[in-house]
Amino acid sequence: MDVMYGLVGEASWFCCGNAWGPCASTGTGACGTCHSGNFQHAWTNTSDACYAITRPDNCGVTGVSRRGCGFRHATTNLCNGSRVVTSIADCGPRTRSFCGERACCGGTCASNRVIDLTPAAFTRIASLNAGLIPAGIDVG
Amino acid sequence: MTSTMDRRALLTRAALGATGLVAASAMGSLAPEAAFATSAQAPDPGAPDPNFAEGLITGRNQDLLQVKGSDGRLHKIQLTGVTSIWKLRPTTIDQAMIGDGLYARGVKLPNGVLAAESVWLNIVNLDVMINSISRTGLNLDHFGQKIFGHVQEGVTAAAYNGTPAISDLSLLKVGRHVQVIGAWRPGTSEIDIATIYAAN
Repeated sequence: MDVMYGLVGEASWFCCGNAWGPCASTGTGACGTCHSGNFQHAWTNTSDACYAITRPDNCGVTGVSRRGCGFRHATTNLCNGSRVVTSIADCGPRTRSFCGERACCGGTCASNRVIDLTPAAFTRIASLNAGLIPAGIDVG
Repeated sequence: MTSTMDRRALLTRAALGATGLVAASAMGSLAPEAAFATSAQAPDPGAPDPNFAEGLITGRNQDLLQVKGSDGRLHKIQLTGVTSIWKLRPTTIDQAMIGDGLYARGVKLPNGVLAAESVWLNIVNLDVMINSISRTGLNLDHFGQKIFGHVQEGVTAAAYNGTPAISDLSLLKVGRHVQVIGAWRPGTSEIDIATIYAAN
């Protein structure tokens, strides 16, 4: 049976909070709570200012709900069916910079970046070196 | 596929020295891709995951890593014969060096040691703008931070708009945003590039 998701697109990962290397300057995100080791994510529509940066609508991704810090989403890796529930801690990804980009595994593909997970959350459903995965997003 | 409980039990035994690579191989693949099962999520959303660690390696005693988390927490991470390691490419546990940054996922044992299932050494995932392109690498701007990305022959590849990654970097353009998966060179503002993701 096919599974329906509220939103389908690409998921990636990002570092935040105290960090090493090039991530050391990233800070704790728009919500001030983001840490790489927590089950958290960045969402493209946390505020007007956030949406002005991410602009998923520029890529044809419309109807992304306005959600605030702490709101929970469930991300499912469409490659393997694994799922993680996380809470909003930052604004992102910058969808408009990667319009039309696709992530595929086998015959399963998804276009446009819709969510970024922390390393702790991403490693729950995929390998970090995968970089991008096709994902289904729902309210968690 | 090996079940999650099988993997946890195997990993625990491996960390305790009761089994090893031979047993692991007999149970099937333990590559990272096989690790992601649909088991119940233990930590609440927004909370730290006890089965995950990040930080810098500050010491190594055989296959036990001492890691100082970026938040100041100290971690002990046990590498085993079934631990998958990535450092620019899939590699072996001997490549974990003092000074390396890491992310690790595994199973937290009762003694506080994290028995590592997967370890990613120095891995970075950067949203950058290309400032210039040379024969040896790319000058990148990461939110105002200048980073040089070294091209590694036989490793570095580019994925253009979701197509399979290829070694041809000629379609990259100065001024464009790209995402770069790479390995940080500890103590520097340089990385070795694994994969560049570029949209149209």
